Amino acid sequence: MSDLDRQIEQLRRCEPLKESEVKALCLKAMEILVEESNVQRVDAPVTICGDIHGQFYDMKELFKVGGECPQTNYLFLGDFVDRGYYSVETFLLLLALKVRYPDRITLIRGNHESRQITQVYGFYDECLRKYGSVNVWRYCTDIFDYLSLSALIENRIFNVHGGLSPNINTLDEIRTIDRKQEVPHEGAMCDLLWSDPEAIDGWGLSPRGAGYLFGGSIVTQFNHTNKIELICRAHQLVMEGYKWMFNNQIVTVWSAPNYCYRCGNVAAILELDEHLTKRFRVFEAAPQEARGFPSKKPAPDYFL
Amino acid sequence: MAQDSEVLDDEEQKQLQAALQRVGACLKQDSSSRAISVYGWEITAFKRPILNMITRDRWEHMLGTSHLPEMVFGDNSLELVHKDSGLRIHFNAFDALRSWKEEGLPPVEVSAAAQWKMRSKPSKEIVLDYDYTFTTSYSGSEAFISSSNTQADSSKFQWLETDEEIDLISLKARDPILFYDEVVLYEDELADNGVSLLTVKVRVMPSCWFLLLRFWLRVDGVLMRLRDTRMYSSFQQDGFDYPKVLRERCIKEGNVQDLLAMGTSPDMLADRDGSLMYGKLNLSRKQTEKLVLIRN
Ligand SMILES: [Mn+2]
Repeated sequence: MSDLDRQIEQLRRCEPLKESEVKALCLKAMEILVEESNVQRVDAPVTICGDIHGQFYDMKELFKVGGECPQTNYLFLGDFVDRGYYSVETFLLLLALKVRYPDRITLIRGNHESRQITQVYGFYDECLRKYGSVNVWRYCTDIFDYLSLSALIENRIFNVHGGLSPNINTLDEIRTIDRKQEVPHEGAMCDLLWSDPEAIDGWGLSPRGAGYLFGGSIVTQFNHTNKIELICRAHQLVMEGYKWMFNNQIVTVWSAPNYCYRCGNVAAILELDEHLTKRFRVFEAAPQEARGFPSKKPAPDYFL
Repeated sequence: MAQDSEVLDDEEQKQLQAALQRVGACLKQDSSSRAISVYGWEITAFKRPILNMITRDRWEHMLGTSHLPEMVFGDNSLELVHKDSGLRIHFNAFDALRSWKEEGLPPVEVSAAAQWKMRSKPSKEIVLDYDYTFTTSYSGSEAFISSSNTQADSSKFQWLETDEEIDLISLKARDPILFYDEVVLYEDELADNGVSLLTVKVRVMPSCWFLLLRFWLRVDGVLMRLRDTRMYSSFQQDGFDYPKVLRERCIKEGNVQDLLAMGTSPDMLADRDGSLMYGKLNLSRKQTEKLVLIRN
């Protein structure tokens, strides 16, 4: 058994790698990811997965339902880390699978794959807690800069974490982005990872003063221009695991069941066969006893 | 290690049972609720999954909005019913969102907004202007459930300002907690720009119950806002036909740049629920009221 196979076995048991192993794994991953396009080509059959957010044991459920990699081909739409308790193991397992089976699994970047966001929402603290230093966080966030921004399945289904950008009309415009950087605060790369569909006409600016919203006509135009039939994206929690919008021109896929261990939502993955026939597989969170942390019953507290 | 803590849990369990027996209280539980009956009060915490798409659509319609928090725990609630007097105090997301909609604060810009202003705009752009922070002045709902079949009884409970104060000193006493729960009503991650969170916590002691409803808002790098409602009712009542309940409301707010300038540690600025920042924020309003029954 090769070192890599052994590491994959270890990660499948939710045991983190040594710091030196993480460093070596990231170097190998970098060599593979640097070759990928900003619009990475993916062949069918493939199974599309949305946000995971460090919910390692729920990702194990996902593989139970969808099949293990490499028997099943996977496309993950980003947001591997933050919020859940096992961002380290979750991201490293996906990365190790990428290095071992580069043609069988595609990972694209979510807005949480960023230095700034991971310092607020958990991954930074988790690395510090599990390794006693921030080196692993550094190796991982350096790798984030190499992750592709989108994927195109059989030239017909466009996949991205967030959504569209007013600065982008064609896939070629995405291809020209220099992605090897921290996610910027604004611009095309930021929009691809952050924007949301919304029931409006045309483009909308969020009341936050940052963040684009795009309506049905924008999706119709984009799909027509680029000769695609569907946009598949993640980024927003949906109780039912997936949600169609704008006459089935765009779909949101959410793969973190019982999000934050308390929402009670189901999750979904989208299976595409070789003819791109779609089948959603809906699944629930791992049973309580399968995960290594205490039950959620709140401890009494003398709050004032 | 694990064994020790289990032994301790057993010991705690015995103490709790003894404390419950002393006051004649009993606990109830099913898959989605936990309750205690004590001194004529029935206090129940309901916890269920977030609303599904169909119910969200219905709520949006009823509230006249197309935006709700990402996580609406619409079937969660905390309910306190005093059977003899017909008083029912409850906390739920729908009423809280109704007050959010009524207040309709102007939106707060996130820190990246400054850079976005420089950006070239699409030729046609709608700027949405609802209050995405879901700031609410909700401080609970109360009702008079008529105990007999006197349907004409239009009595209702009202809050009137008082000079009395909730006795926080006695609440610091480490009396056994007979019942404790925390119920989330709604939560939004502000698209990773912070958090907006409405929760209610309750604890029942041998002498009283006490609860805290907290709206907590953190717009990263910009603003922190806290709106607390505390309620207190002693089990030692002096002969009224309905229990005395005190309610204290306070509003605190702080600008993150000011807080940093005052030396607040940046670690505290990632506060998830307001517990770290509570003592650091400036009080802008505080008011205590008591519940009275208006008979018609
Ligand atoms: Mn996201």
